[in-house]
Amino acid sequence: MNFKQCSTFGMVFMVSAGLLFIGCAKKEVPVGAAAKSPTVKSTPSRTAPKVVAVKPAVQKPASHSIYFAFDESRLDTAARGILNANAAWLEANPGLTIVVEGNCDERGSREYNLALGQRRADSIRDYLAEHGVADSRIETVSFGEERPACEGSGEACWAQNRRADIVTR
Amino acid sequence: MFKTSLALFLLFFSLPAQAVEFDIYQSDYKPLQLALLMDAKIEDEAARKQLYHIVKSDLESSHSFDTLNPLSFLATASEAQTKVEYADWRIIGAEILALCRLSKARGVWRAQIQVHDPYRDKLLSITQLDSSSASLRPLAHMVANHIYKTVTGITGHFSSKILYVRKHGDLADLIYMDQDGANQQVVGRDFTLLLSPDWSPDGRNVALNTYVGNRPRLELFDLATGKRKVFGKFKGLNSTPEFSPDGRFIAASLSHTGNTELHIYDIAKRRWRQVTKHPAIDTTPTWSPDGKWLAFTSNRDGSPQIYRLRLADGRIKKVSLTGRYNTSPVWSPRGDRIAFITHKDWEYALATVRVDGSDIRYLATGGRIESPSWSPNAQMLLFSRETNGIRKVYRIPSWGGKMEAITAANEDASDPAWSP
Repeated sequence: MNFKQCSTFGMVFMVSAGLLFIGCAKKEVPVGAAAKSPTVKSTPSRTAPKVVAVKPAVQKPASHSIYFAFDESRLDTAARGILNANAAWLEANPGLTIVVEGNCDERGSREYNLALGQRRADSIRDYLAEHGVADSRIETVSFGEERPACEGSGEACWAQNRRADIVTR
Repeated sequence: MFKTSLALFLLFFSLPAQAVEFDIYQSDYKPLQLALLMDAKIEDEAARKQLYHIVKSDLESSHSFDTLNPLSFLATASEAQTKVEYADWRIIGAEILALCRLSKARGVWRAQIQVHDPYRDKLLSITQLDSSSASLRPLAHMVANHIYKTVTGITGHFSSKILYVRKHGDLADLIYMDQDGANQQVVGRDFTLLLSPDWSPDGRNVALNTYVGNRPRLELFDLATGKRKVFGKFKGLNSTPEFSPDGRFIAASLSHTGNTELHIYDIAKRRWRQVTKHPAIDTTPTWSPDGKWLAFTSNRDGSPQIYRLRLADGRIKKVSLTGRYNTSPVWSPRGDRIAFITHKDWEYALATVRVDGSDIRYLATGGRIESPSWSPNAQMLLFSRETNGIRKVYRIPSWGGKMEAITAANEDASDPAWSP
């Protein structure tokens, strides 16, 4: 259901993170994927062990999208799990800054939905800050219902649009 | 009695599954029957015809008048100019007789107007209006305003303008036109998202919400020069600007203090101050015409509802008393009512209530209805409505009646804003 979203994110992430990673976030990223990045590969193989050893334990999170119930900004268990993985990842990569983009489904008023999307983004920022990510590394923005991942009506589509994405800068 | 119950029973069960939830308000007002009579020299015949059609269409669009067919008239325009026989007009049911003589001298169009009430044998007003514009349209709107004001006592809105947003792909243009749809022009091009345009009371600037580099900001857009000036660019949300009635302040909702709250910008001092402080969302502020209150949307009681806040002491009262989801309040320029959007089971409706929340009137429903905007005289409302994937701007009398689309089906039109 959120494959499309994942691949969108994956592309944004790849471009913005300087092609550090390959593949889509929806797929299982193998342990040590970071070590397979083109940059590392291109270094002489004899000195490779030192580079690989930096942070082998932290995986790139499987998802960067958090989903919400209607007119809600509360984080459920699944959301907290995803955010914990993202917090660990950000801790392991202190050079990364992120933008949390809040979105809404099309129901209700566009202007209220701007505020609701902001609230979703803010609740993620607050959670990440409580879990060790410096506030200064997190920007938030709301697109309300203006940038749906899924165009159309019906709960299957709306559920995908009630979403916040963690986008790496 | 039995018959009535049976009829009600049948009616009830013949309603479709997706029954319209809203009891649409219908006023018992009947449009006045208007005899509109215009004459001009033979060389100005084309101009006379044009004037007639614009005045007729203005007055009919207000839903306050029906113009009588000139074929039913028992007197010609020149006869009526010489002497008005009220009985002749009563026979055909003319409740109002408006006579207009159009002339042109040294490049100036002149309309000499008399408005009569045949049922009271009375001349209600006599005046002359001049316009040096090459187009007859400004003069025609002035004539319509004069007739409307004479008969209803209310200032006409026929010289006013309308702004709306036209989306194309990911970009949006700001469109400007006369209230009747004429003289449409693109005044601002290629905004990345364009929401909530609002006129300054002097009609020269528009406050709006747009995005630059994926960040929202508030800008003032100068309608004459097209210049854009940023006045709100904080962390997080910058949205829903609305000018105070005296034009000195702009209320908006900002989230940089940690949560979306109402703030007020002092334009001269370039200073913001925070107005609400509540852990819930507070957004879409709208000023009372006396500038003493802000009505707004907040989910402080669990779901979005309309409230009003007295600026002097911060006292807050709830305005929307029914419905789970109410948003987008806009205070009437007359002050007595607030228009907003309400939802029942995701049926949308445009509604108005008195300021204390009583006497709710549902005016329009069907499709996704958003963004109400009052005409300057509070007699009409604009709103956007999306049906079958097509979004248009509509107008409707604020006292109930038929909604009419004023934008075309081949464009995506939203966020209407009626000029002061």
